[in-house]
Amino acid sequence: MAIQHRSCAVAMVVLWLMAFAACSQFEPRDKRFYYRALWNFSLREDLAELDSEFNGVDFGHSNLYENLLLTGGKDIPAIEDRARKETLAFIATKPRINPNEEAIAPTYMKLAWRAQNTFDEAHALHRATYDIVVSDEPDKDRAIRDVLAYYQESAYAITTKRLDHHRLDQFPYSKTFRNRFPLFNATIWSYHYLQVAVYDPLQAAPDLAAKTQAVRPILTTYRRYLEQPPVAWTFMPLTAELSPSFAARYPEIANIFDNLHMLHDNISDILASEQVPTWDAKRTEIYRILNAYYLASADGTNSMMVNDQEHHH
Amino acid sequence: MNQVAVRIIRPILVLMLGLWPLSSFALDHDNLDPNRPIGMEDAYAISKGEIGLEGGVRFNDRREGRTRVTFQPQIIYGAFDNTQIEIQGDLMTEPNTLVGAAKSGDLHVGLLYNFNTETLQLPAMALRVEADLPTGVNSKGVDTQVTGILTRSFGRLRAHLNAGYTILGSPQGQERPGTYRAVAAVSYPLGYPSSFRDTLIASIYTRQSDLQGQRNNTGVEIGLRHQLSSRVVLDAGLGTEFYGPTDRAALLGTVGVSVGF
Repeated sequence: MAIQHRSCAVAMVVLWLMAFAACSQFEPRDKRFYYRALWNFSLREDLAELDSEFNGVDFGHSNLYENLLLTGGKDIPAIEDRARKETLAFIATKPRINPNEEAIAPTYMKLAWRAQNTFDEAHALHRATYDIVVSDEPDKDRAIRDVLAYYQESAYAITTKRLDHHRLDQFPYSKTFRNRFPLFNATIWSYHYLQVAVYDPLQAAPDLAAKTQAVRPILTTYRRYLEQPPVAWTFMPLTAELSPSFAARYPEIANIFDNLHMLHDNISDILASEQVPTWDAKRTEIYRILNAYYLASADGTNSMMVNDQEHHH
Repeated sequence: MNQVAVRIIRPILVLMLGLWPLSSFALDHDNLDPNRPIGMEDAYAISKGEIGLEGGVRFNDRREGRTRVTFQPQIIYGAFDNTQIEIQGDLMTEPNTLVGAAKSGDLHVGLLYNFNTETLQLPAMALRVEADLPTGVNSKGVDTQVTGILTRSFGRLRAHLNAGYTILGSPQGQERPGTYRAVAAVSYPLGYPSSFRDTLIASIYTRQSDLQGQRNNTGVEIGLRHQLSSRVVLDAGLGTEFYGPTDRAALLGTVGVSVGF
């Protein structure tokens, strides 16, 4: 009798799990640890001034998405004034540790975890390349290629191929965010400027003291952009324009970062646009473009791949 | 103290102390593991590939009997996608007076599998299976435990339900052959939008007493997890049992540390 009861309970649990698994929103979490190496956290330990700015950038993206989602993408003061100023205030605290983005954007994380995990993996690649460039790792080139290979093992890896960012910026909802919220959009592009502009100066500087000096002008420019967002820009910054040596040496990584930043813009537009009216529709569209155009797993069928150079900025 | 347990624990402590000067990353203060610092957990496993070393000291000031101190060293490893395995070996004072599944020096192995991430429609769900091997003082038989875990967030507040059942491999004297345990808990990140280093946790729990004929141990706990550096999380907790056997806890206290690398 006891065995029958136990079997019945197990069967009920299995049926319950199968019912949940059949639900369209049943998603694996799939968090993966970063590439473990001696150079981990070199940027945080040796060039904290720059590291803290990147920690602020992490806050900015998540805070924007949560606020766009909760306000329906129409409340201009909520985004341009309140959310943007929250971000600037957080950046001003010079955070020593990257914030927990799930605490910043709990609703967005539930809406589009797959996209967030894609961001997390690409941001980990960003962090790893900074750490390597700043560290005393003797074979930086090999280390960078190793972390790239590790990144590409992930099911959430963005394609290393060059994508047609102009076409990716011509969906029916494209440019909604930048047209409605030009200040926050220019702030986001300023983050992306900082993220890609530091590579060449960091690589060219021979030692830590020189690297510290080399990034100072970029930090000064970045902080000026935060105070006076560059609203005249018509397109996001591209790695090849701001760090041409790095992009020439590691074109796959440059493509990943540019594609990552384009995906950020697409998601901002989807969250802001009335043409994608419901949360379900936004989730569906985010996952559609992610799966069809951005993930490396779509390389065989991706219609957005190009071979020519692009210069927008 | 049990010699077998000492042999198990010593290398863990040495390794932890050796790592202490390093600054590191990753054990997320918002990812909640049992006993760090209170007896509840969320439905998420640590990242695949991550290694965590955790340790703590727990004081149980009982209403009858002497205060019991428990040392809680543990290793966690993100072995597979959404799966963590754990090895633990609690050491307790007055080991000869313990009843129930938890015996001082038992080697504890566990596996937590997270089925899904939380979405707008679904809570995060996980299943934990554990076994206590009888390496400890007065320990007989392999005790097994199964726990179901749900996590659901409401804004920044996260709610957690844990429900488990323990089967004793070889109950002795008046020990129950099986006991259930249920915990309801909430966690909340403190400091938004200017700081993200602290998570507050509170729980209420009930569990069947270890001995037959006694009332359920029922209590509340509150704890804090603080991200000290990228890799180090500190924790502290307090609790009390307001219902249960005469030797139930008057005051529970825990301090601990987790290091991820």
